Amino acid sequence: MTNLFSLNYFGPELILTGTILLAIIVDLFYQEERSYRVGLWVLAGIILSAVTLLINQQSVPVALFLGSVVSDPFSTYFKFLILLATIFTIVVSFSEKELGNQRVGEYYVLITIMVLGMFLMVSATDLIVVYLAIEIVSIMSFVLAGYLRGNRRSSEASLKYVIYGAFSSGIMLFGLSIIFGLTGSTNIFDIRAALAGLDTSADLALILATLFIFTGFGYKISAVPFHYWTPDVYEGAPTSITAYLSVAPKAAGLALIIRFFNSSLGAPGTFIETEWIFSSAIPWTQVMAVLAVATMTLGNLIALRQTSVKRMLAYSSIAHAGYMMMGLPVLSEHGIYGIMIYAFLYLFMNLGAFYILMLVRNNTGKETFEAFSGLGHSSPLLAIIMTLFMFSLTGIPPTAGFIGKFYIFSAVIKAGPGFYWLAIIGVINSVVSLYYYMQIVKAMFFKDDNESGITIKFSMISILTVILAVPTFIFGVYWVPVADWVRNSLVIFIR
Amino acid sequence: MATVTFWLIILLTVFSALIVVGSSQLIYSAVALLFTFVGVASLYIFLWADFIGVVQIVIYVGGILILVIFGIMLTNKITSVRISHTSVQRGAGAAAVVVLFILLVTMILKTPWLEIAAVEPDQTVASIGKMLMIDYLLPFEITSVLLLGALIGAAMLARRGR
Repeated sequence: MTNLFSLNYFGPELILTGTILLAIIVDLFYQEERSYRVGLWVLAGIILSAVTLLINQQSVPVALFLGSVVSDPFSTYFKFLILLATIFTIVVSFSEKELGNQRVGEYYVLITIMVLGMFLMVSATDLIVVYLAIEIVSIMSFVLAGYLRGNRRSSEASLKYVIYGAFSSGIMLFGLSIIFGLTGSTNIFDIRAALAGLDTSADLALILATLFIFTGFGYKISAVPFHYWTPDVYEGAPTSITAYLSVAPKAAGLALIIRFFNSSLGAPGTFIETEWIFSSAIPWTQVMAVLAVATMTLGNLIALRQTSVKRMLAYSSIAHAGYMMMGLPVLSEHGIYGIMIYAFLYLFMNLGAFYILMLVRNNTGKETFEAFSGLGHSSPLLAIIMTLFMFSLTGIPPTAGFIGKFYIFSAVIKAGPGFYWLAIIGVINSVVSLYYYMQIVKAMFFKDDNESGITIKFSMISILTVILAVPTFIFGVYWVPVADWVRNSLVIFIR
Repeated sequence: MATVTFWLIILLTVFSALIVVGSSQLIYSAVALLFTFVGVASLYIFLWADFIGVVQIVIYVGGILILVIFGIMLTNKITSVRISHTSVQRGAGAAAVVVLFILLVTMILKTPWLEIAAVEPDQTVASIGKMLMIDYLLPFEITSVLLLGALIGAAMLARRGR
């Protein structure tokens, strides 16, 4: 579709861009102590963007801007997911004490730019857009992770993030240039057509290119062995941003992996299901299975040893990336289906866990397991909600986490007996994760120290955790609407 | 003749890049970086991408490098700081580098790269302009958002804290 007509389908992105510009200007008129009001403008823009997305939903996929991006139900699904996470993040940032005492206008502007970047990530079908989208998200994350100036851990997080980010996007760019050298095109559908005409002498180049490109993508979803930045960045960044980074860019990264590899290496005119053209050249199944196992196992094993809850949740988010990656090696619609459901349900439970941590930290100044002790006596409701999130992250029924894991595991088992081992390792990992999630529950309910029971002052975050707890429970009991929505969203642009 | 020129450019680029990473004096690295940038610009010109070559010189040599050198010179005592090149696990690192090097060289030699005839184009600026305004309009526009965000972020990080 030509550039001008593409604008009809580009409403949500245009509104986001307008919001960015408006927020920058509006920020000039606010005093420092009122700069948080920029967040209200941004929130309005994000909600308007979501409404536009809802109205303009396309059931038929279209390619926009001469094939640079596409608009299809698959991308729309992830866009909703990203917007939902963003709304929670902006609202919780109003009550984030770590951000106090400095201008926060830019903070909201940077988040909005990041949303635009993630929108492009989930809809990109051109190598240049893929690269630019990843860079937008990465660079905004670098700044947001280091937003607490004067805080050494935050600066350290930002710097480590920059170094890892620059390195992995450099490697990814090299991989993309190899693909361009083989095919002479930047459009992933043209690339697929050109790759189909190559013989086996190009196999080595193709394998290396895939590996290099996956370095860049894997870094975004913090897959092992590209995860080294995760714990330090998650620990140093403001907690509102940590929660956001563990949900939204991860979902966008998975969407990008699915679209990019399916469209550039899959058989023509199909959405997964059948064999991939280069399945002989690229041992995709084996490599992805090994990476998924490594990611969840390493995340879980290191999470066992943490004393800081924030760091534990960082490793747990690596483990969850591993569970979601289990859907990749099976090369089936079920696998993608599982990933999409999991990403959605993971949003509620993970944000919720981080927000309760934020409440505890705001009131005690500590992020250790001990900070949670006695919470069951002083604030029973919060403690019960936290227990719900912990059960859900483990995957115990009847919580949303169980449903997410159920769909992922069943996709793996449906793929045949060759994948049973993967499902078994996934289950073992879930059991291991029970240990460290339950440590929080133990601290909250079974620590015997009456005098140190912390009191949680009522704040906006308390309401948010309740709002997040509702879907975590409801979708564990009645998940048909989600399953239907995901099934309808399982339409990807194909050419 | 063209081949000789090509290899001279490569030699200049790689040799100066080695000095950039290997020198223990920051200012030597910065000056060596000048030759790396010029070498890359020559490569662009060698590939008939004259516009990109000139842009490379104007932006990297004329802008970024000068800023780097100013940054070094205006920083108190930084010229006398010796950069340490400590590295751990040299054996494993060397093995990984050798394996990667062999793989990449094999790949470059064996792969049937897409080759296009090296003919001098009539003009490059007009076709670049057309591509930016038609085929790659969206990437061109979102680059501006990226740069805007980077600008705000840099200003935010550099702002004086209280």
